[in-house]
Amino acid sequence: MTGSVPQALNTLCAGLILIAAFAMVATRQVQGVVRFFVVQSLLLTASCFLLGYGRGSIHLWALGAITIACKVIAIPLVLRKVLPGDYYERREISQAVNIPASLLIALLLTITAEFLAGPLVSAANDPVIRVNLPIGLAGVLIGVWSLIARREAIPQLIGILAMENGAFLAGIAIASELPLIAELAVAIDVVLIAVVAGLLTRTIRETLGTTEAAALRALKEEPASWR
Amino acid sequence: MALMLIVALPLLAALLCWIRPLRNAAWPITLVTAWAVFALSILVAIRVIADGRVIGLAGWFEADGLSALMLVIVSLVSALAALFAGGYMQRTEHEEQSRLWWFYCNYNLFAFALLVVPALAEPNLVWVGVELITLFSVLLVGFESTAGALEAAWKFAVLTIMGAPIALFGFFTLFWAYRSAGGGWETWEGLRASAASMNPDILKLSFLLVFVGFGAKTGLAPMHTWLPDAHSQAPTPVCAVLSGVKTTVPLYVILRFLSIVLASPMARLGHWMVVLGLISVAIAAFLLLQVRDYKRMFAFSTVEHMGIILTAAGLATQAADYGAVLQMLNHAITKSLCFYVAGVILLTIGTREIASVRGLFRVSPFAASALLFCSLAIAGAPPFPIFLSEFSILSAGLRAGQYAVVAILATLIVIAFVAILMHVNQMAFGEPARLYGSKTALPASCRTAVVAAALPVIVLGVYIPAPVNDLLQLAAHQLGGH
Amino acid sequence: MTETIAYNILQVLFVLVFAPLYAGVLSRLKEMVQSRRGPSIFQSYRDIWKLFHKDEVISEETTWIFRFTPYLVFVMPIFVATLIPVLTDYPLAFAFMADMVGAGFYLAVAGFFAALAAVDTGNPYGPMGASRTRMVGFLAEPVFMIVFFTVSFVAQSTIPYIVQQKWVASAAAFFSPAHILLLMAFLMLILAEGGKIPVDNPAGHFELAMIDESKGLEYSGRAAALMKWGGQMKFLVLACIFLNVLVAPWGLAHGTNPGAVFAAVPQILFKVFLFALLLVVIETSLAKLRLFRISEFLGAAFITSVAAMVTSIFPGA
Repeated sequence: MTGSVPQALNTLCAGLILIAAFAMVATRQVQGVVRFFVVQSLLLTASCFLLGYGRGSIHLWALGAITIACKVIAIPLVLRKVLPGDYYERREISQAVNIPASLLIALLLTITAEFLAGPLVSAANDPVIRVNLPIGLAGVLIGVWSLIARREAIPQLIGILAMENGAFLAGIAIASELPLIAELAVAIDVVLIAVVAGLLTRTIRETLGTTEAAALRALKEEPASWR
Repeated sequence: MALMLIVALPLLAALLCWIRPLRNAAWPITLVTAWAVFALSILVAIRVIADGRVIGLAGWFEADGLSALMLVIVSLVSALAALFAGGYMQRTEHEEQSRLWWFYCNYNLFAFALLVVPALAEPNLVWVGVELITLFSVLLVGFESTAGALEAAWKFAVLTIMGAPIALFGFFTLFWAYRSAGGGWETWEGLRASAASMNPDILKLSFLLVFVGFGAKTGLAPMHTWLPDAHSQAPTPVCAVLSGVKTTVPLYVILRFLSIVLASPMARLGHWMVVLGLISVAIAAFLLLQVRDYKRMFAFSTVEHMGIILTAAGLATQAADYGAVLQMLNHAITKSLCFYVAGVILLTIGTREIASVRGLFRVSPFAASALLFCSLAIAGAPPFPIFLSEFSILSAGLRAGQYAVVAILATLIVIAFVAILMHVNQMAFGEPARLYGSKTALPASCRTAVVAAALPVIVLGVYIPAPVNDLLQLAAHQLGGH
Repeated sequence: MTETIAYNILQVLFVLVFAPLYAGVLSRLKEMVQSRRGPSIFQSYRDIWKLFHKDEVISEETTWIFRFTPYLVFVMPIFVATLIPVLTDYPLAFAFMADMVGAGFYLAVAGFFAALAAVDTGNPYGPMGASRTRMVGFLAEPVFMIVFFTVSFVAQSTIPYIVQQKWVASAAAFFSPAHILLLMAFLMLILAEGGKIPVDNPAGHFELAMIDESKGLEYSGRAAALMKWGGQMKFLVLACIFLNVLVAPWGLAHGTNPGAVFAAVPQILFKVFLFALLLVVIETSLAKLRLFRISEFLGAAFITSVAAMVTSIFPGA
C-alpha cells in the first residue's frame, strides 16, 4: 500500500470513526451519545480535508466545511435549544440487550460490512476506497443496530445521524465529484431532521411525560382480551 | 416553464400561508394553488405525450413519461385533498383552529416535496426531495397532539428516516458506478444509457441499499409497521395524500432504479422483486382479516397495493409494466377516495373502530353508499379501475409464463377482497348500535371532494381515454425500456 | 554473544532499578494534577528499604504457599524482562527462551499464586480481593489472547522482537485501524491488569473495595517489600511491552556497541515517562467503575481487540 501521509492519516481517522461508532453503542448517557457523535463528525471532517488535500479537490474542502457547520456546530446547538432542559442528564439504566452483547453484535455487523464491501473494494484499486468503503458501510449498519437497541428518543436520532456519517465517509471516497448543490442540500436536510426529531421529542415529553420510545405502545394489533 | 411553475407554486403558497395577515386565508390559497398545479401538470403531460419529454432546466428538471404520470397523480390527489381539508379541518378541535395556518403551510411544503421528486432529473437531489417528503409528512402526522398521533409520528419518523442514510449510500454507490463507466452529468436518462457498462456488483449493492432504504418509506414488508399507525392517526386529508401518493413516490424512485438495473445484464433481480412484492401482499392480506379500525384497514390495503405494483414491475414485461403504472394511477385515485370517505364517516360517527359502526345506511346514506362504493373499488371488484389494472397484471403474468406467481397473487387479492368486504358489511348494514348524536350536516367541501374523487374512479373503470392511455404507455416504456 | 548476555542483564537491572521510580513518578504526577504536593519520587525506594529492615510476622494458619509467593511474584517479572525488548530492538541472548504466550504465562503464574496466598491467610478481605482479581483476570484473558493472536498473525511470529518491526514498516501500517484498535485494547488491558482506575483505585485503603491491592495486605517485612517491588516491576514490564512492542520501537538501541545501548536507557525512560503522563490523564479524568461494570469495560476491550483482528485479516485495511 502506498503510504503517503494524507492517506495514512485518513486511515487513522477511519479507524477512530469505527471506534466512535462502537462507543456510541456502548455508552449509557444521552450526553455521551451526542458527544461521541460530535467526535465522529469531527473525524469525518478531518477525513474530508485529508482527502481534499491528497486529491487536490476544492470540492472536498468545501464539503468538510459544510460538515463542520452542520454536524459539529449546528446539530448540537439545535438539540440544546429544542430539547427540554434536563434531558441531557438522562441515562438508560437498562437496555433490551446488555452492553457487551450489544458490542458483540456491532462487531458482527462490522464483519458483515467487510464482506459486503469486499468485491467492490477489489474492483476499485484505490487504497482510500479500500479503507473508507467498508468502514462507512459498517458505520451505517452499526447505526441501524444502535437505533434498534436504544430506548431513549434522542440516541435513536443520533443513531440515524451516525448512519449519515457512515454514508458520507464512503461517499467522499467513491463519489467525491458529487455536485456541490447536492452536498449542501443533504447537509441542510440533516439539520432539518434534527429539528423535526427534537420538536417531536419535546412534544412527546410534554404529552406523555417520558421520552422513552419503548413507552409508546398504544397502537398495536393485539386481541382485545389480552389488554 | 410549466414544470418550474409546478415546483415553485406550492413553495409560494407555503410562504403566503406563513405571512401573518394572510393566515386566515390559508385554505383558499392552498386550494387555488393545488388546482393550478393540477392544471399545469395536465399541460406538461400533454406536451410529454407530444414530444416525449419536457425540459424545464436542462440536467436538473426534466420530465419524461413516468415523471409526467407521477406529476398528474400527485397533483390530482393533493388538489382533491385540499378541497376535502377545508371542511374537515374546520371540524377539528377548537384549540387547533388557531394552528390551521401551520397545517396548510406544512401541507403546501409537503405538496412541494411530492412534486419536486418526479420533476427532478438529478438523482441525488431526488434523495433530498424524498427526505423532505418524509420530514414534512412527519410534521403533519403529528399535527393533532394526541398520544396516538405522537406515537405514530415517532415510529413513522424513526423508521422512515432510518431508510435515508441507507438510500444515500446507495445513491453514492450508483454515482460511483456511473462515473467509473465514464458518465458525465448524472441524470436518469444518462444512467439508463450507461447501465450496460456499469459494474454489476456495484450496481447490485446500490440497488439493494436503495431498496431497503426507500422500501421502508414505501411500506414494503417487513418495514411496513409504521404505515397503519401513521396513516390512521394523521388528519384525514393528510392520510389521503399519504396513502395515495406519498408511498407511491419512493416506489417510483425504486422503480427507476430497477429499470436501470434491469437494463444491465442482471435480470435475476426481477425475481427477487416479485418475491418481495408477494410477501408484502401476503402480510397485508392476512393483517386485513383482523384489523379493528377502518382507517388502518385502508392503510393495510395500501401496503397490499404497493406489493402488487412491485410484483408487476418485477415481472419485467411490457404488459406487466403497463399494469404496474396503471395500478399506480388507479390506486392513487381510489385510495384517496377511500380516505375521504373514512373522513366523512369519522365526522358522522366520531370513532375509528369498526366494531362501533353499525347500520351506517340508517344514519347517513351518503356516507354508507360512498363506503360501499370505495371499498368495492379498492378491493378490486369490477367495474372499477383497480379491477382493470389487477387483471392486466395477472394476464401479463400468465402470458409471461409465471403461473405460480399469478396463482399466489390472485389468491391473496381474493383474501384481501373478502377481508375488506367483511368489515364494510359489518359497518354499513344492520341496525344502528346506538344513537350517534345529532346529525350535523357534512361540510359542503367534504361532499364535493368525495363526489369529485369518485368521478375518475367511475370513468377509469370502464374507459381509459386515449391521452391517458398514451401517457401510460410512455410511462411503461420508461419503466422497462422494452 | 557475551555482549548480548550483558545487555540482557542490563535490561533486567533496568527493570529492577527503575520500577519503584516509575511508581513514584506516577503517584507524584497524580498528586500534582490534583493540586497537591505528593510524595517524593524516590519514596518507593525508601519504602522498600524500610520494609527490608523490618521483622516479618506470619500467621500460623498459612502454608508454604504464603511464604513462597513473594519470591515468585518478584522473580516472574524478571523472567519476562529478559524476553521483551526493553533497551534494544534486536533479539538478545535469552529472547528465544519463550515467546509472548510464554511471557503471559509467567505473569499469570505470579498472579495465580498471589491470589492463592491471599486465600491462604484466612483473613476475610484476602479471599474477597482474590476472587475479584480472578474475575478481572478471566475477563481480561480473552483480550490478551486475541491481541497476541492478531499481533502474531500479522507479524508471522510470536517473538516480541520480531513483532515490533511490523508496525513501523510504513506510515500506513502505523496508522492502520488494526494498529489503533490494538493499542486501545491493550491499554484497557494494562489498566485492568495493573489495577489502575477505572478498574481499581491503587491509592485506596478501603479493603472492601480493593481488588489488586488486597493481595499484599497480609505481608510484612521482607515479603511485603518483595511483593511491592514485584508488583511495580510487573507494571513496568507491561508498560514496556505496550510501548516497545506495540506502539513503536522509538528509543530502542539499534547498534550493538555499549554506547548505543546505554544511550537507550534515558530514551526509554523518557518514553515510559510520556506513558505515565497519559496514564495520569486517564486516571484523574475517569471514575472507578462499579464492580459489575468491569465486565462491560473488559467486554469493550475484547470487542476492540476482535475488531483489530478483523480489520487486519481482511485484505487491504
